[in-house]
Amino acid sequence: MGKAKDKSGPLARRPDNSAFKQQRLPAWSPMLTANTVLPFFYLLALICMLLGVWLLLTVQSTQEIKLDYTELGNCDQCFQLRKNVSYAAQTCSCKVEFSIDRAFKGDVFFYYGLKNFHQNLRRYMDSRDDEQTLGRNNKLKNPSSYCEPFAKDAEGVPIAPCGAVANSMFNDSFTLTYHPSRSRTIPVPLLRKGLTWYTDKNVKFRNPKTDNLTLAAAFEGTRQPLYWQKPVYDLDPDNPTNNGFINEDLIIWMREAAFPNFKKLYGILNRADASFTKGLPKGNYTIDISYNFPVQYFQGRKVVVLTTLTWFGGQNHFLPIAYLVTSSLILLMAVVLTLAWWKFGKDGKNMKE
Amino acid sequence: AFAGEGLRTLALAYKDLSEEYYHIWKKKLHYVSTVIENREEHLAVLYEEIEQGMKLLGATAIEDKLQEGVPETIACLTLADIKIWVLTGDKLETAMNIGYSCNMLRDNMNEVFIISGLVQLEVQQQLRSAKEHILGLSRVSSTGDVAKGEMFAEDSVFEEAIIAEYALVINGLSLAHALEPQLEHTLLDLACLCKTVICCRVTPMQKAQVVELVRRHKRAVTLAVGDGANDVSMIKTAHIGVGISGQEGMQAVLASDYSFAQFRYLQRLLLVHGRWSYFRMCNFLAYFFYKNFAFTLVHFWYGFYCGFSAQTVYDQWFITLFNIVYTSLPVLAMGLFDQDVNDQNSLRYPSLYKPGQQNHLFNKRQFFLCTLQGIVTSFLLFFIPYGAFSVMVKEDGADLSDHQTFAVTIATTLVIVVSVQIGLDTHYWTAVNHLFVWGSLIVYFAILLAMQSDSLFGIFSSNFPFIGTARNCLSEKTVWLAVLLTTVVCILPGLVVSFLRVDLFPTLTDKVRHLQQSRKKQGPQEQNLRRIRRTSSRRSAYAFSHQQGYGELITSGKNMRMSTLSSTRSLEGTAQSSSWIENILKRKNEVACISPERPDPPDSHRDFRGSADRLK
Repeated sequence: MGKAKDKSGPLARRPDNSAFKQQRLPAWSPMLTANTVLPFFYLLALICMLLGVWLLLTVQSTQEIKLDYTELGNCDQCFQLRKNVSYAAQTCSCKVEFSIDRAFKGDVFFYYGLKNFHQNLRRYMDSRDDEQTLGRNNKLKNPSSYCEPFAKDAEGVPIAPCGAVANSMFNDSFTLTYHPSRSRTIPVPLLRKGLTWYTDKNVKFRNPKTDNLTLAAAFEGTRQPLYWQKPVYDLDPDNPTNNGFINEDLIIWMREAAFPNFKKLYGILNRADASFTKGLPKGNYTIDISYNFPVQYFQGRKVVVLTTLTWFGGQNHFLPIAYLVTSSLILLMAVVLTLAWWKFGKDGKNMKE
Repeated sequence: AFAGEGLRTLALAYKDLSEEYYHIWKKKLHYVSTVIENREEHLAVLYEEIEQGMKLLGATAIEDKLQEGVPETIACLTLADIKIWVLTGDKLETAMNIGYSCNMLRDNMNEVFIISGLVQLEVQQQLRSAKEHILGLSRVSSTGDVAKGEMFAEDSVFEEAIIAEYALVINGLSLAHALEPQLEHTLLDLACLCKTVICCRVTPMQKAQVVELVRRHKRAVTLAVGDGANDVSMIKTAHIGVGISGQEGMQAVLASDYSFAQFRYLQRLLLVHGRWSYFRMCNFLAYFFYKNFAFTLVHFWYGFYCGFSAQTVYDQWFITLFNIVYTSLPVLAMGLFDQDVNDQNSLRYPSLYKPGQQNHLFNKRQFFLCTLQGIVTSFLLFFIPYGAFSVMVKEDGADLSDHQTFAVTIATTLVIVVSVQIGLDTHYWTAVNHLFVWGSLIVYFAILLAMQSDSLFGIFSSNFPFIGTARNCLSEKTVWLAVLLTTVVCILPGLVVSFLRVDLFPTLTDKVRHLQQSRKKQGPQEQNLRRIRRTSSRRSAYAFSHQQGYGELITSGKNMRMSTLSSTRSLEGTAQSSSWIENILKRKNEVACISPERPDPPDSHRDFRGSADRLK
């Protein structure tokens, strides 16, 4: 009202008579009626049931083996050894045995898992420097304050990679051996490359520019995190391209898990090997573990998981069962609604004015 | 002919008098005015003598009509449970005439109480007796306060049970007494028991005081409508002030919250726009609480799994943009355009206005329910992805149960769930609603992919740590299956409840909507608006006082003194324009060729005695 308008005369100050301003916009006015809602419910119940059944069948075709090796067999000695910090430099190895009843057909994936390790603690998750792991030179020698107290060591030498996340990197290593018969042993080759996300390996984590220097020289002036045994440029002696910040184990560890019980990929079965082209055959296996990571401080457990995968992932029973439960609940609701509508509200009985 | 059109007519005639004749007549007049007995009759004879043999010059006609549509508006608003009181500066007869012409006072009303006492005691007695008459109490208490207290408690129950119709007319002087602290409760109680209240001869200050009285003591929203500068204080005192712009200038308009040019637009303002506004506001509020509870309480559940370290589930940028960008526009569109019932039906069914008056759409219970829905949604929103993600891996074996993937999944699910929920809550889908809802979803995905892209990470590395997550996470079918399941489980309970409520216990709004839908299917038909039956006698729509002998009153000089209208004076043949003219003409012994406007049967003559024991 009272807007200055070009037109003059008695109707000059009349508000716009457009559909927008006079609340006359054409519209669709849906209403919840029985003949839209009830078929929708039945359809939805059907869809959920089909999905649930399909997923369940898919999941049933995967095979998984889980081993909690924290105190299993002679790993118990290593467990006791690791309780004492002064023996941290001592290596300790143990063996774990298991057998497979049915051959694992297809690709087999080897995971290590931790229980009760909260990688999702807020202060822990903040304690990293993404720019340093991106290879920025100014950050290499000058890590961000978020990394405190893991940014510099006692002498003030900067740590690369800094922060609590990198510092607590999982450092057990595993070797898998197959025993087709009592005397023979065949080492099971595990691919230790191609484990990470493409974007992680190629975009998020980059080594500092080396020009013509070696990687070790590029990291001159920094030192490894306090809990590590090896410096970052020497994490993988077998594979020179897997060193520095782009080391796959480091990248996988730096991608913090959402929950306290998690598993991370360690290796993929190398099916190029003649014995394992079809997967893992049935029989006895042993895992040689270099036991380093102490877990008794937080009452944690360590596990090893071997599994085959489908498009749906590994053995994840939650989703199929949830779908089936949901579909039965929806069906129940639909039946209740139909009954209620039939008995009480049919033909708009209640709608008489 | 003029009177036939309902105009107020004056006939003009003239006669030449010789000075001698005039002097004689004047002496007679002087003599007669000092006579003690039957002075009026003698004066009348004398006036008749001189007012004879005049030559008719012509007739004038004046109109001062009430605006059109006023009776219909008032009737409509009364059906909507809105009580209407008239506060005017005019005289009693004028005010009552207005009341009749607006259909506020009706002939079939049980009683019209007129309070016109001059002293406080008289006013008190009149108020009390009127109240007792209504409540049917035969006891007359001599001590004032105790009885008043008891009656006050009972009145709140009785108020709704009064079936008979009463009207209260009170003039300014009595009102001044009645507004004093001792009597104001009695006045208010009596006024609320009556269907109509008319206050006449009210000063602007008193208008504001009456509004203030209702505001203070009644749990009601007050709206004041006025058109002149004398209404400004009333307009400012009421909760809502409405100014009618017109011939009386712009004072009322400048002081008011809403203004328009005709009184009948009030109907549309209240029943259409007011009602829509309440409906939209309640929907908006309920949805906002639900959305924010669903958004925030996920962190409460996550606390159990992250050591209560206050780690956020979502990306920081998502938290910033959620309320501003991703979910603000759909709810804005709902708040601007939503209509439960279209405007014609809002006017046809004024009782649709009642949910607003009784606070049905957003009260403690509704707040609790929408909060509960938010809490349950947040629970499902967290735990279903938790169950799915605790052991999830990608198709190629790489990890997928990391924090960033979990964050993106929950964020996506949340945006989808709240968008679907607002889709279900919107009753009126205009093009703008479509644009905003679908547009918000598209914008969400666009911003998500943009923020987690390589290029942005390259520029601001430490601010965008979620690089690559959206691409890796949203390309996995298992993630979408989890999203679908969560959406279904979050939305369906609300849908079930809404459907059952509309099917088994439909409110008037639901019924009218249903009617609207079926009418639309049948095609446009003639809409017969029910004509509001005027139950009052046909009074003219004029704001004039029709008291007999008005001319005498002026010439006798009595109106210079305080108005001496008392309720005991019977006003016969009042408020009928035709009879007034008839009376004047009869005196002149001229044949009137003006047909009476709308002759009334004689038994509808009102006797406005405010006595309490007069039965109709």
